[in-house]
Amino acid sequence: MAERKKVRRAQGPEVPVAPMLDMAFQLLTFFVLTYKPAPAEVQFGMNLLPSQPAIPISTEAPSDKPDDKLPASLRTLPTFLRAGDGGRLAQIKVGETAIPTEPKDALEKELDKYLQDPNLPFDQTVLKVDPRLKYAELVKVINAFSNAFARAKKDPKISFDELAPGEGD
Amino acid sequence: MAAALRSEFRAEPNLTPLLDVVFQLITFFMLVINFSSENYDQRVRLPVAESAQPVTDERRVSEDRLVLNVDKDGHLLIGGEVQPLHKAIQTIKHQADLVKLNLKAGGVKADPSGSLPTTIILRVDREATFSSLISLIKACETNGFRKFRFKAMNS
Repeated sequence: MAERKKVRRAQGPEVPVAPMLDMAFQLLTFFVLTYKPAPAEVQFGMNLLPSQPAIPISTEAPSDKPDDKLPASLRTLPTFLRAGDGGRLAQIKVGETAIPTEPKDALEKELDKYLQDPNLPFDQTVLKVDPRLKYAELVKVINAFSNAFARAKKDPKISFDELAPGEGD
Repeated sequence: MAAALRSEFRAEPNLTPLLDVVFQLITFFMLVINFSSENYDQRVRLPVAESAQPVTDERRVSEDRLVLNVDKDGHLLIGGEVQPLHKAIQTIKHQADLVKLNLKAGGVKADPSGSLPTTIILRVDREATFSSLISLIKACETNGFRKFRFKAMNS
């Protein structure tokens, strides 16, 4: 009998775990109900420039090597985007050259000619966009420019402006 | 006989491992909880972009950001409120004033060109037209915001 009492005293006080478990489940329920997974999003980073007046592209290369001392208007590649039915992209024009909307890489190939040519001074672009154009279509063009600037190892510098009726025709 | 009656058979499950697992789950959800869900307005359906860059945590932490959610009608969604264009422009101006105030309070010298260090995160619905977007962009540029990030979904 005395030995049983000694064994019981050696075990120590018993902590009831059930209430602690109950509170833990309450907390878990709260966090499970408030949990919202962040969507997997990607992004295009760029520095937008104020609208610059772009001059028509000259077919003659400048006599001196192009550098930052050239005025911004000479370094700006004008691009015109016209919308069709439903806000879809109907016409792309880079400078004076009309680019087909299909295949998708046609625009990138044309941009490479301008941005990777060391004799041409272009390091930024102005996008003249039809107001009716849907944003999803604009993103495709931004995608192409972003890739082209990356291949040319230039920082993407883009400015946006609304395309006036008859402009770029 | 009395002793046999007094000794009852009790089945007491061991709750300690269960409590341990529950605490593990609580810790997991505490670490992944996201209180900035307002910036990811689900009403905005982003367009798909094939080669946009994923957002890195370093960039997220280092830059001062202002998230603008734009729905398919061109309205700004901010603070759970749908704001038409004229109100959105006022909101953008107000945000720019706050940034300038913070810079001044922090003793940071203002950029001579008027550019603000805040990055504008544009989450625009794929069906929004350019006409609604350009007004917001112009309002941002007028108030000194030069850095922009256009959000999209990965294909």
